[in-house]
Amino acid sequence: MDAAHIRNFSIIAHIDHGKTTLSDRLLQRTGTVADRDMQEQHLDAMDLEKERGITIKAHPVTMYYTAKNGEKYELNLIDTPGHVDFAYEVSRSLSACEGALLIVDAAQGVEAQTVANLHLAMKQNLEIIPVINKIDLPHADIPQAKQQLEDILAIPAEHAVLASAKEGIGIEEILETIVERIPPPKPTGEKSLQALIFDSYFDTYKGVVILVRVFNGELRAGMMVKMPHSGKTVEIKEVGSFNPKPYTRPKLEVGETGYMTANIKSPREVKVGDTVLDSKNPASVLPGFKEIHPMVFSGIYPINTGDYEQLKVSIAKLQLNDSALTFQIESSAALGFGYRCGFLGLLHMEIVQERLRREFNLDIIATYPSVVYRVQMTDGTMKEVDNPAFLPEASYIEEIQEPIVKAFVICPGTNIGDMMALISEKRGIIQTTETLDTRRVMLTCKIPMNEILIDFHDRIKSITRGYGSMDYEPIGYEASDMAKLDMMVNGEVMDAFSSLVHRSKAENRGRLLASKLKEVIPRQQFQIAIQASVGGKFVARETISAMRKDVTAKCYGGDISRKRKLLEKQKEGKKRMKAIGSVDIPQEAFIEVLKTN
Amino acid sequence: MSEPVRSLYVHVPFCAHKCEYCAFYSAPASGDQINRYVAALVREFELIAGGCRPDTLFFGGGTPSLLTLRQWETVLEAMRRCGLTGAAEWTVECNPATVSADKARLLRDAGVNRISMGVQSLDETLLDRLGRVHSRDMVFRSYDILRGAGFTNVNIDLMFAIPGQTLDIWRQTLHEALALGTHHLSCYEVIYEEDTPLFHQLQKGEIDVDEDLACAMYDELLDATAAAGFRQYEIANFARSMPSDPGGSQPTVSEWPDYACRHNINYWRGGDSHGLGPSASEYVGGVRSRNWSNTTLYCEQLEKGRRAKEFAEALEPLARAGELAAFGLRTTPGWPFDLFKQRSGFDLRTGWHDDIHRLIERGWGVQTDERLYLTRTGLRFADAAAEMFLRP
Ligand SMILES: Nc1nc2c(ncn2[C@@H]2O[C@H](COP(=O)(O)OP(=O)(O)OP(=O)(O)O)[C@@H](O)[C@H]2O)c(=O)[nH]1
Ligand code: SF4
Ligand SMILES: [Mg+2]
Repeated sequence: MDAAHIRNFSIIAHIDHGKTTLSDRLLQRTGTVADRDMQEQHLDAMDLEKERGITIKAHPVTMYYTAKNGEKYELNLIDTPGHVDFAYEVSRSLSACEGALLIVDAAQGVEAQTVANLHLAMKQNLEIIPVINKIDLPHADIPQAKQQLEDILAIPAEHAVLASAKEGIGIEEILETIVERIPPPKPTGEKSLQALIFDSYFDTYKGVVILVRVFNGELRAGMMVKMPHSGKTVEIKEVGSFNPKPYTRPKLEVGETGYMTANIKSPREVKVGDTVLDSKNPASVLPGFKEIHPMVFSGIYPINTGDYEQLKVSIAKLQLNDSALTFQIESSAALGFGYRCGFLGLLHMEIVQERLRREFNLDIIATYPSVVYRVQMTDGTMKEVDNPAFLPEASYIEEIQEPIVKAFVICPGTNIGDMMALISEKRGIIQTTETLDTRRVMLTCKIPMNEILIDFHDRIKSITRGYGSMDYEPIGYEASDMAKLDMMVNGEVMDAFSSLVHRSKAENRGRLLASKLKEVIPRQQFQIAIQASVGGKFVARETISAMRKDVTAKCYGGDISRKRKLLEKQKEGKKRMKAIGSVDIPQEAFIEVLKTN
Repeated sequence: MSEPVRSLYVHVPFCAHKCEYCAFYSAPASGDQINRYVAALVREFELIAGGCRPDTLFFGGGTPSLLTLRQWETVLEAMRRCGLTGAAEWTVECNPATVSADKARLLRDAGVNRISMGVQSLDETLLDRLGRVHSRDMVFRSYDILRGAGFTNVNIDLMFAIPGQTLDIWRQTLHEALALGTHHLSCYEVIYEEDTPLFHQLQKGEIDVDEDLACAMYDELLDATAAAGFRQYEIANFARSMPSDPGGSQPTVSEWPDYACRHNINYWRGGDSHGLGPSASEYVGGVRSRNWSNTTLYCEQLEKGRRAKEFAEALEPLARAGELAAFGLRTTPGWPFDLFKQRSGFDLRTGWHDDIHRLIERGWGVQTDERLYLTRTGLRFADAAAEMFLRP
């Protein structure tokens, strides 16, 4: 297709505002997917996406649309995830586009990730088409949504398209507006091929499938191309697009998006953000993306130690399509061998764990998540610590720095008091408070990342009864009075529970963990002391009293085999317990406590 | 021809009413059903008769005393015909609500010489709580009937740590039971067996389990029975010895008290035993097997002339030895090393060296030149000890 008839756009929004549902309608209206093949949230292909009703991966798809002006256009849409953990997917997708549909839920209005994702789009100078969705809802408030577009986002609201993705209202108008307002792609004017790699996934048959946007020149099977980052030169085997299933095309021309394959076996050889160039006559490299680094770490262990190899293979498989996931071997006295995994955020972590359980059928347990600390050593060196169990001896530590994020929280004005209390409980410092409209305020604050890891988001939701939202971006490190909290049974450290906490919170957390552990560790034939220690000093203690008896009294002839089987089962069960010192702790106890964090 | 089996158990799977805590296979039944069962049982007697000459015989249930005089006559007649009578110890379990003088005499005349009464408690409220059909009065009346019929060896079953039972109530029951002048007591703590009403109440949190109270009751039991001249010979079993001949010399202390139940000792020491009737287990020639826990199925099979086995397993020698070790330690004499070797083919001292060491270290066990046995504390952890000694 000639560039003048191509439109590349993403759909961006706060989570659940209807991006994927709107994509469904666009696919249907353009005949890309026949009505009878249509399922809800069609682009959410993964089971997990379907089940949770969220988008995790960006999904590109190519559609053809004959506009009112009678001309036929190629529309390349990229549906994106709304959740903050996957913001990098959004920014990469945006780099392949000239425009973006910004969806706002008519009932919810502008929310934190609406703001964040819009900022991403504006940074890339994209044409923004505001769409007010879900106007079919009885409590839809269109004037208010428009007002917010203008006040909060500074987007002229008279251009906003009113739509209901669910009812199919406004779809035609959206398509027309895309054709009218989003500029066609312009060649860079360089001498040869430039194609930006904005994503990749692994296919068992084709190897690595590279998602590209052609900025200059064209891409066709048989070409020899070079990827400067890996320095690899490969022969292109296949190019194509998605409808939303992949289909081959003779070539991808300037301005088009699609995929290429080249018999590449390892995803590591392909770097997202790299530029595909003509190997004989290479043009210049396009600006790529900022490297993404995992921000949250947690140990993942197989419940059955025998599954260790299986776990490794499974994580490696996941990583093929999830370049943000990192892992390396670690071991724990309590849990045996496992992997320290790095994630973009908590949702990402949850999703990886769930996929391991579901798609790979593994029984796993994850340790308390940790952020990456910087430890300034007395010898002047700097260490990064993502596992509190490996924090150097206190005497070698000059200071500990923790990662800080800038968070913005949007909430109803009536909740502002509770919200400020929450932020300060989480050691945050409020920087600005803006009134967004008659109902809502936006708080901007600096807050330690480890404080928002666990329940910050849930707490906001519960304080605001679902109306609040938040987003964040990392802004660097600050020195902080962090202390290592260890949990011990009868004097032995249970490494799976070690964590770095701010000194002001160490004691409370120690107490909480101790009492949780007391609940889940079964009584044994001797007394068990559970202690919490902060930097070597005990701050909490619970005692589990010794069992005074362990016998079921009645046992006659008929019972013997039944009873033996019962005892054998118990004995078998004890084998699966982790012995910490002389104390047998069932794996379920670890899981229970780690889960309830 | 191998040695005949010297022990026989017969399960009578009927009860007037199901108790709240009971996990035995038993159910109320019509007269016809019981007749059908009796006929099937007679068939089963015939099937095992060739290889069984019981020294100990035990009718348990359920409620054996629920059989009518006629039904008992049929059973006893078949046993005589099959040469199964004449055991040195022949026990029949009785529910205090179902003992009549006629029945008692019939049993006595047939050779039954030991009665086990499921009393459980002498507190009316607790009897109700447990769903027992008998009353406190019936216990005393039944006991008199049994004595009148000539039974001198009567066991009384009691339960403690019953929900709602106080230490005082327990003490009272215990003393009243001892005052009856029986020679044998079985006292066990309430067990919450899965799928019993009591268990469900526990699950729903309707029952508080008070371990300290249970322990206090157990201590009370040990003290009271000792004071009454009983000797504990197994975790839950206490028996007296015959009064010694005043003129004779002081007898040496025997391994078991005279009134100990030989039938049960045979189980704990891993001897062979036949088990007849629905749900009964037997252990014969190294094979453990069990009849179907379903009276209709049981009858159908026997009507076709075959035994009604639900399953049979032959344990590996080491697993068998582990089981022997585990269960024998429940008795106060524990295991004489020689006997263990003779029964299992393994040497307890070498094969279980580490476990014995651990027992002693924890103060749970004592090892002498001759035997290994559990201490008073050890008996409180007999399950944990048993677990150690089992071998997969
Ligand atoms: N009433 C109504 N519901 C809608 C409309 N559009 C979407 N929804 C519903 O809103 C929910 C979220 O829709 P999605 O399309 O999954 O939202 P999303 O923005 O893709 O969500 P993420 O990918 O998780 O960020 C679903 O339950 C949809 O059925 C609409 O126009 N009207
Ligand atoms: S009488 Fe005995 S066998 Fe029958 S229900 Fe009660 S406890 Fe169970
Ligand atoms: Mg979506």
